[in-house]
Amino acid sequence: MSDFEYSDEEADYFYDDEEEMDTQEDGSAPSDDDMDMETFNDDFRVTGKGKRKSYEVECEPLSKSDVEKLMQQDVDHISGIFGVDDTTASLLLRFMDWNKEKLIEKYMDNASAISISAGISQPSIPSLPPPIRASSLSRGVEKPATRRSVRSAPSVSAKLLTKTKSLEPFVCPICFDDTQSDTMSLSCDHAFCTSCWNAYITSKIREEGEHWIRCMAEGCSLVAPDPFVKSALGTDTATWERFQELLVRHFVSHNRNLKYCPYPECTYTVSCPSAASKSSLASMVPTVTCGASPDHQFCFGCAIESDHRPVICAVASMWLRKCRDDSETANWIKSNTKECNKCQSTIEKNGGCNHMTCKKCKHEFCWVCMGPWSEHGTAWYSCNRYDEKASQDARDSQSKSRASLERYLHYYNRWANHEQSAKLSMELHAKTEKKMEEMQITSALTWIEVQFMKKAVDEVFKCRMTLKWTYAMAYYLEKGNEKELFEDNQRDLEKAVEDLSELLEQPIEADNIPTLRQKVTDKTVYVQKRNEIMLEDTANGFLEGRWTWNGTVEGFD
Amino acid sequence: MDARLRRVNKEIADCKNDKTSKITLELVDESPFHLKGAFPGPEGTPYEGGHFEVDIRIPDSYPFQPLKMKFITKVYHPNISSASGAICLDILKDAWSPVLTLKSTLISLQSLLCSPEPNDPQDAEVAKHYMTSRSSFEETARYWTHIYAGGPEAKAAGKARDTPVGAVRDEIAIAGLEKAHVDQFEALGFERTKVIDVLRRLNYRGANVAKITEDRVVEELLKS
Ligand SMILES: [Zn+2]
Ligand SMILES: [Zn+2]
Ligand SMILES: [Zn+2]
Ligand SMILES: [Zn+2]
Ligand SMILES: [Zn+2]
Ligand SMILES: [Zn+2]
Repeated sequence: MSDFEYSDEEADYFYDDEEEMDTQEDGSAPSDDDMDMETFNDDFRVTGKGKRKSYEVECEPLSKSDVEKLMQQDVDHISGIFGVDDTTASLLLRFMDWNKEKLIEKYMDNASAISISAGISQPSIPSLPPPIRASSLSRGVEKPATRRSVRSAPSVSAKLLTKTKSLEPFVCPICFDDTQSDTMSLSCDHAFCTSCWNAYITSKIREEGEHWIRCMAEGCSLVAPDPFVKSALGTDTATWERFQELLVRHFVSHNRNLKYCPYPECTYTVSCPSAASKSSLASMVPTVTCGASPDHQFCFGCAIESDHRPVICAVASMWLRKCRDDSETANWIKSNTKECNKCQSTIEKNGGCNHMTCKKCKHEFCWVCMGPWSEHGTAWYSCNRYDEKASQDARDSQSKSRASLERYLHYYNRWANHEQSAKLSMELHAKTEKKMEEMQITSALTWIEVQFMKKAVDEVFKCRMTLKWTYAMAYYLEKGNEKELFEDNQRDLEKAVEDLSELLEQPIEADNIPTLRQKVTDKTVYVQKRNEIMLEDTANGFLEGRWTWNGTVEGFD
Repeated sequence: MDARLRRVNKEIADCKNDKTSKITLELVDESPFHLKGAFPGPEGTPYEGGHFEVDIRIPDSYPFQPLKMKFITKVYHPNISSASGAICLDILKDAWSPVLTLKSTLISLQSLLCSPEPNDPQDAEVAKHYMTSRSSFEETARYWTHIYAGGPEAKAAGKARDTPVGAVRDEIAIAGLEKAHVDQFEALGFERTKVIDVLRRLNYRGANVAKITEDRVVEELLKS
């Protein structure tokens, strides 16, 4: 039922929307703190804002009510054409997974058939036994009376809320309670007590996450329309809210231009028509942010719930799959301890910086490649580049599979290291921040003046995420000039990030703050610039078709 | 009283009072929400004469969510897992209705034994067997009813089930295979259990035997 494709015409319709979608919840003016932050951020600004960069995608966050407006537009459209009420139009649209064209076609073809399938009306002739195997065992709760004709445009509103006050004692066929006098039924007249309806609908919504709620009678396929659901839920507004959220999710899941925010509890949706087609994902990474929080960053094009720029979805997913499959072989690398290759004492990594100094022998080395740090700090920084020549030698002496494992481990090692370092730098910052707060009290420094660390740590984190994914990309890049340029950018960024990381690990004392602040701010600006270059150049490369893969990557063969 | 408990108690009482249906329900432990149901195998089926027991769990939101049922007694049937007793039946899933009861659901299981639905199988191997050779399937189902559900001894129709009563269960008959076929590959030097396993997986029965070459079987035997 989900193989409908929205036409391109359809893709435009969100943008015809004349209503302004204000994402600012309270609509209040920016506070003084925000203003300060603005000025402060100017220190770090590399390029002017406004112009969209080639690695950014145009998207629009939509709140739950924004999406509900879009749904209502479709409902209005359908109810206008068919001459039915909103409730009926909604059920028809939901039944057809919001494919309007298909619905119109089917409805024009046979309105009563689709109304029956959509659970709006019952077949006028007592139908064949319901297609369930236990049909012969029905306990006779169904009353074949009052079958309604469905020849005319059906309407569900008529018999919606049949709250009957019957004179005979009513025994609810579900709870066997004969003291309940309030009953409800859909237009099929299958009556049950109100509290059973309430429990049933609550269970469907809460436990099954279901918005398509059929009559409780066995084999009856009528569906509870919204006003009925609302009335059965009574004062339980939380469940009613959840029901509406399920409807929004259903609508969003069938619209290629929309994606629901994957963060728990979040009810925002992102609209991103430019990333709606599969082919567009071969040349762009649609990282989007929902309107609820800037932390709610996810990929519009795939299931990865974080920013995987600069590498495109297909390659990122391929890499994650590979890491999962090879995780056992690679497990040992993740370990947090290594041995100093000079004195063999065990060294534990506790900051985000890769520049390690052995506590015992003072040997300085790189955590990633275990090579001496002296070679990293100077002109030739080669830690990022897999030495194809060395692997050639390895191939001579060792088996081919060993060589390919080593090649994989080279990239995986760096990938995992950036991930780990990013986490460690956040932990380190948590400690630093406390100290900075104390300093704000004990020294003459202002709040603004102690914020530079936070900004730098955020930047380091962001860049390590970029670096992480560049290793996934480099693993699949065909070697040659383009890959070398890519790795040059990667190396420059990596070097800058390691330098900044190292600065951040320096002990902070009140009197060195002004100099530290200057150094950190300069470095942060530089790192930011390198990250821009990395992302921009890779994104442009995709647009220009510059990248060639050494394996088969979806959308490129 | 809790509505679920009230309903379950009433259902259990109704079932006790009803002497015609031959459906029984009993508590497994002190909880009224974990029961054991039982019913006789339907007449005129390979399950006739057997006594079938079902484990029943009543979920917290019963009757708005379906009962959880699985066979305790081993059953050879396309919609019942021959290993776990899990049941593939629509009313235990999507087609559940809160008006269904313990009794009506058990009656549905009983009628499921009458009319297998091989196109929606729970046990793919059993379903294949059912599709290729009905008579061989029924013979196996009858044998399972005999050894697991206390049904009458299978009438040795055509084939000699020469195992004396009480002796080791005939693993070839349990797998629904022909002794001659198993012997044939056992003679090539493969272990009997391995042969049974592979032939069962390949559905080496009825008309299928002609379609599967000896080489193919040997290949599978070498792989396993
Ligand atoms: Zn009731
Ligand atoms: Zn009904
Ligand atoms: Zn969100
Ligand atoms: Zn993606
Ligand atoms: Zn050392
Ligand atoms: Zn290194």
